[in-house]
Amino acid sequence: MNARIGLTLIALLLAAPACAQTRGLLKLPEMAALADKASESVTVTLDSNLLGLGCRFLNAEEPDEAAAKKVCQSLTGIYVRKFTFDTDYAYPKADIEGIRRQLAAPGWSRIVEARSKKESTDVDVYLLVDGGKARGLAVIASEPRELAIVNIVGNIDLEKLHDLEGQFGVPELQIESGKKAPKEASKPKAQ
Amino acid sequence: MNPESAQGEEPLLLERARRGDEAAFAALIRMHQASVFSIGFRMLNRRDAAEDLAQDVFLQLYRKLDSIESLEHAGFWLRRVAANLAIDWLRRAAYTRAAPLEDGVEIPAPPTCEDPLMDRELVRLLGELAPAARAVMVLRYQEDRDVAEIAAALDMPVNTVKSHIKRSLTAMRGKMIGAQLLTAEELS
Amino acid sequence: MNDFENRLRRALRPVEPADGFAERVMRALPAQHAPANVVPLVIVRQAAPVSAWRRFSAPAALAASLLVAVFAGQHVATLQAAREEQAGLAASRELMQALRVTSQKLDLAYEAVQRPAPAPAVEEENRS
Repeated sequence: MNARIGLTLIALLLAAPACAQTRGLLKLPEMAALADKASESVTVTLDSNLLGLGCRFLNAEEPDEAAAKKVCQSLTGIYVRKFTFDTDYAYPKADIEGIRRQLAAPGWSRIVEARSKKESTDVDVYLLVDGGKARGLAVIASEPRELAIVNIVGNIDLEKLHDLEGQFGVPELQIESGKKAPKEASKPKAQ
Repeated sequence: MNPESAQGEEPLLLERARRGDEAAFAALIRMHQASVFSIGFRMLNRRDAAEDLAQDVFLQLYRKLDSIESLEHAGFWLRRVAANLAIDWLRRAAYTRAAPLEDGVEIPAPPTCEDPLMDRELVRLLGELAPAARAVMVLRYQEDRDVAEIAAALDMPVNTVKSHIKRSLTAMRGKMIGAQLLTAEELS
Repeated sequence: MNDFENRLRRALRPVEPADGFAERVMRALPAQHAPANVVPLVIVRQAAPVSAWRRFSAPAALAASLLVAVFAGQHVATLQAAREEQAGLAASRELMQALRVTSQKLDLAYEAVQRPAPAPAVEEENRS
């Protein structure tokens, strides 16, 4: 009996750090059926080992890769599913609902909800905050001919994520407050 | 032979190359060799490396002929592969430093050669740019591609391409002024 | 395009490779493989070696085996390093692609949010 209790306690203790590590991690299906229908698909699954390996091979002399290196060093996973179709709404919304249900779990907050009737575009940005720190980021972007789901796990340093914006041409987004904050200086002017 | 005139003269060139016609494939090479070689040369700063790269690119084209839809697509495909391969090679640290231009390297002069010294300096400054920025500038100013095509070729957001162009031009202009090869008025 | 950019275009005129480039590429194209030339293995039994040879043959063979093992080990290490480099470069490309998609979609959110809101208000879902 005592041995059994001891083993149970050990199992729980071992499970706790694992739980902490997987917080922020969504179960993203491979979506093979969608990939077959798509004219183009991007599937990236980088767990902590592969992410670490990829991070090591980034070229610090390239500005965008140097910025990416600063971001990825504290991350434990990056997962992307992006599908592009030749016709409108070739993907059923049910495919996204499973993911949205996971994002209704405690800890996750939707910090940006963008709906554009004109472009028929829906974009939601979610953040998981645990112990006062951002541990998970999720983006669901639904456009007529493209569906993209992004999940980033780890110690998400929002400041470093902001640094990426200049390199990738993304304007600043005040993710902390959930408000948009245009800053014209960071947007490169059209040539 | 440029792709546009070839499209009128040789509508079946691609089809013939796909069917194993060596003369047709050789014609495709000649049509694009200057572009592919130059992308390699501007990126790697060495003729021998540029020729190795160009040869690799055409060998890849040979293997992928079935996926090439048109002569225009072939041009896009070759520029894309050449630029990305050159970036990969640079990143392997084989050619990280901008090597000085070789003695006697031909820089094709315009009919009236205005300023070969400035041309040489511009090429040297290009060689100092980081690989991705350098590739953007080569595709923009050597290949005369628009921002959207460069973004597609290098798998970059359009805004990043624009950023690279803006920052690279600013850096190069500043160094030209610093070297007193240009005045601020000449740049307006 | 301004004057500086025009100068840059002139300086970056395409450069031709050395003469005969197309021919060199054609020669490098993959050729049909000739059928393998199979040579029968002949085992020749020799007379017993002289004693001096016997004295040195075993250590020589051992030294040769060790050398082979060392080179094989180095070769394996080189192969492993090359494989790791390939895997690392592939992973770094995927990483950059993932971050690009992330930034593109954040950009989309920003643009959609920047547009003026439509007049009628729509009830938002409350999230627990």
